Amino acid sequence: MKFLNHLTFGQYIPAESPVHTLDPRAKILSVLVLLTGIFLVRHPLAFIPWGLLLAGLTALSRLPFSMVLRSAKPVLILVIFTSLIHIFFTDGRPLIDLRIVVVTREGVTMAVYMGLRLLFLVLFASFLTLTTKPMELSDGLERLFSPLVPLGFPAHELAMMMTIALRFIPTLLDETDRILKAQLARGASFDRGGIWKRLKAFLPVLIPLFVIVFARAEDLATAMESRNYRGGEGRTRMNPLRWTGADTAALGGILLFVALLFLADRRFLS
Amino acid sequence: MMEAVSRCNNTRRMVWTALLSSVAAVLMYIDMAIPIFPNFLKMDLSDLPALIAAFAWGPAAGVLVELVKNLLHAFTTSTAGIGEAANFLIGSALVVPAGMIYRQFRIKKGALAGLVAGILIMGLTAALANYFLLLPFYSRLIPLEKIIDLSSRILPAVHDKFTLVLYAIVPFNLLKGTLVSLMTLWLYKRISSLFCR
Repeated sequence: MKFLNHLTFGQYIPAESPVHTLDPRAKILSVLVLLTGIFLVRHPLAFIPWGLLLAGLTALSRLPFSMVLRSAKPVLILVIFTSLIHIFFTDGRPLIDLRIVVVTREGVTMAVYMGLRLLFLVLFASFLTLTTKPMELSDGLERLFSPLVPLGFPAHELAMMMTIALRFIPTLLDETDRILKAQLARGASFDRGGIWKRLKAFLPVLIPLFVIVFARAEDLATAMESRNYRGGEGRTRMNPLRWTGADTAALGGILLFVALLFLADRRFLS
Repeated sequence: MMEAVSRCNNTRRMVWTALLSSVAAVLMYIDMAIPIFPNFLKMDLSDLPALIAAFAWGPAAGVLVELVKNLLHAFTTSTAGIGEAANFLIGSALVVPAGMIYRQFRIKKGALAGLVAGILIMGLTAALANYFLLLPFYSRLIPLEKIIDLSSRILPAVHDKFTLVLYAIVPFNLLKGTLVSLMTLWLYKRISSLFCR
């Protein structure tokens, strides 16, 4: 049995599709535009085109629709909780009177609106990680941050650190799991007592973990140095990012979609 | 003679920072709710590796650990990056003063003074960030009155935005900072001999 195996960092699903082959920079920027757009929606009905967009993008990316929906599972409880609060605690015209609480028209509208907003935020955010490899994401971030390099921002180092950290998370999870079991076998308990007692119980886990991290860091640094790694300057890539017409079209299309929806929302619905 | 502590260069320091970020990202997942406080405030130990990095290599390394940890966490986010931005701001407010003071006075008292300053600045930052940025932002998802309403059932003193920040968010962050700092004081000397200098 493993304690920590339910954690997944990055949820990339490989497929051959126009969405997968887009430049990661175009995808990151598009998702930022989309998330802003979702925050600007004012009327629950305006989420219909958003649903259509998500369905369209999912079809285009050749991902199974259920897979995309499943990525919202971690926030489902939050969505339901938020909606319930809105249903029961909004004043307005009563719809159903349950004696203790009154369900109002406004409450139901708000619940649907807030629930959908939260759901779409998460769905679009995870659509990015579903269709983009973590490595591509960190490459894309490096290039997006590169204008800040003259100001002293370590864009290359940051991307490299993200790549290394991402690579080591599964290893560290395995190691942490091993240490947890070893300490449990020696009679440690991690879920009893007050908060301070629980935190102190973690010390015998953390010290061996840092010793392992030490060994890994030394090995990796030596391996990189012996291959003559000297930072980002003058470094070449096996697969350099290329911004093509398709990327401009995708980003432009998304911008247009969000702008049109925003105007329609303000003009007809609110 | 073999050196007990390896020489530090940029590559080595970068790899170390990356691995500490990875530890932080793992620790961020092992979080726990604290009694008394409303359950959207969660305790985790992910600031611990950042504090250790700040003590070993200065405040910038600590901030980098916070940044990488939150960027990684944002990949699998449930709050579209807002919670991560909050965590980054508040975590850096703890790590920077601690690292700066300990850099000047590399003795136990320096570490202690740095951590105390860090905790206080973290509490202040958490208050300002929540009051002006995070609560207004979250209130677009869950209206503020409901957050206040829910919190006031656990903490009766909470009745508006100001008292929510004063009685829930500030004490929570002070407590979190204190617990993480105590762990760091305990841990740092035991493992600092491993780091490259």
